[in-house]
Amino acid sequence: MQLSKAIEVSNLTKIYKARKKTGDVLALDDFSLSVDTGQIFGLLGPNGAGKTTFVKILLGITNATVGGGAILGQPISNYTVRSRIGYLPENHKYPPYLNAEELLIYFAKLCSYDNGKLNQRIDELLAMVKMARWKKVKIKKYSKGMMQRLGLALSLINEPDIVFLDEPTDGVDPIGRKEIRDILIDLKNRGKTIFVNSHLLSEVELISDRVAILHHGKLVRDGSVDELTTAKELYEIEVLGEPDEALFNTGSTVSLVSHKDTKYTVKLDSVENLNELVDSLRNNGILIKSINPKKQSLEELFINTIKDKDDQKL
Amino acid sequence: MRNILTITNYTFREALSRKIFLTFFGVSSLVLLVFAILFLSVSIEDMMPVVQTNGRNPFDDVIPKLTEFFKTFIVVPLYGGGLFLSIFSVSSFIPNMLEKGSIDLLLSKPVSRNQIILGKFFGGSVMVLVNVAYLVIGIWFLIGLKFGDWGIGMFYAIITITFTFMVLYSLIILVGILTRSSILAMMITYLLFFIFSPILAARDNIYILFDNKFVEFIIDAIYYTLPKTQELGSITADLARGSGIEEMQPVLTSFLFMILTLGLAIITFNKKDY
Repeated sequence: MQLSKAIEVSNLTKIYKARKKTGDVLALDDFSLSVDTGQIFGLLGPNGAGKTTFVKILLGITNATVGGGAILGQPISNYTVRSRIGYLPENHKYPPYLNAEELLIYFAKLCSYDNGKLNQRIDELLAMVKMARWKKVKIKKYSKGMMQRLGLALSLINEPDIVFLDEPTDGVDPIGRKEIRDILIDLKNRGKTIFVNSHLLSEVELISDRVAILHHGKLVRDGSVDELTTAKELYEIEVLGEPDEALFNTGSTVSLVSHKDTKYTVKLDSVENLNELVDSLRNNGILIKSINPKKQSLEELFINTIKDKDDQKL
Repeated sequence: MRNILTITNYTFREALSRKIFLTFFGVSSLVLLVFAILFLSVSIEDMMPVVQTNGRNPFDDVIPKLTEFFKTFIVVPLYGGGLFLSIFSVSSFIPNMLEKGSIDLLLSKPVSRNQIILGKFFGGSVMVLVNVAYLVIGIWFLIGLKFGDWGIGMFYAIITITFTFMVLYSLIILVGILTRSSILAMMITYLLFFIFSPILAARDNIYILFDNKFVEFIIDAIYYTLPKTQELGSITADLARGSGIEEMQPVLTSFLFMILTLGLAIITFNKKDY
């Protein structure tokens, strides 16, 4: 099935002009990316990788130096498309003199969202983020976690088709995080596109369909979570008994990485090498119980990718 | 237009939330109360001897002079003090809006940057208009009741004071966008309002000091470029007293300054990254 694109950018470059002493900062370097509709997409990267700059360019908060793109089929320079976008910034600051209800009305008006059911929508959203009883309380009295919940409700007030969330679970307790994850999955099931920037890789792994890793303004990995977390060269072989480790070190193409009980993790160059190893083990009378591609966590993938890129640079 | 109105509305609400606005409102209410008590407790007619000279009371002229005195007595301090408080109360509007987390949210909405600036501009201006109108209409009503003078000349003061504020507010917005500093925006505006404008209004005396055509040209250039708050103050007092505007140049050049400054603020805001 051909999915339409929620986000499509090409050759995006952003240079922040700086004072003489510090020099210019290259925040995005010829960056191209596309995100299909109806997905939860996680953008990962170390601090200063360019993640927030990318989102800000998409939302018209920052201007690209070179390149451009489209959101929901509209050029990013067209501000009217933002009526279909929700956004939760990382360090949000709301007018402290408003209460939750007034804030939601304010931003609904700015989004021209007024279908006659705004009050009902506000009640639903506040109930969803467990803030209903704080509806009439001034924002200045909210805790950080409450502000985050309100921010999530605010990002959804206009029933957006795409939602950008920058560290959505920041300051939220574990139960609250689970609730937010459930909300995001529910939104996805209703056909919305969710774009998440987060440092909490375990959370991104739990909910994302696709992720991309950004490093020094460049896209270094991009794919589905399954694809990326499946380490192609590593296999875990479970056997009966405890054969000699030497059987798993058959020259330069196959090497034993680790061994625990009857499980042996080996590194191979290709599927042919795997079959050769299986033949060798069987010829030596070893009974194979299972062979599984070794999975790595998103966090491991992230750290390895960034380390590899940094090593290449050195 | 709808977006501008929404931002105007919420800027007005932001102003309402500030203590300075309430102070302004409280001081205005106090002034009205003092005048109401004064007018109720002192009967001016009773204090004047009735001496008929050829069928004419020589004190007939006293009441118009008294009403003129009260009008000037209110409008002149209102111009200086009201604008002082207004500048103070709006100087943080733009720097607050530009704070990280606040501006991101606003710009991510389907609102153009031009609409945001215009909304902020009109919101602050409406705040001053409401406050000035409250005091001026209140005094006009008390004077009308006491002296039977229902002339609407005093209402022009509402327009001129608000206009002067709008001229200065455009500068506050520009400096706010350029520097994100409410203190700097306030200081520059006060400097213009209280120092530069009165000095430049008396530039004839400076010419005598230098006696140099080039210096005269430079001072003239600065004078015609900057807003003429000193002259606008005089115009306000004249209008309140019922006199007309003798010279339109200060109004027109100040208006031009406002348009240019606001235009520059919008262009700068459109180019900035947040």
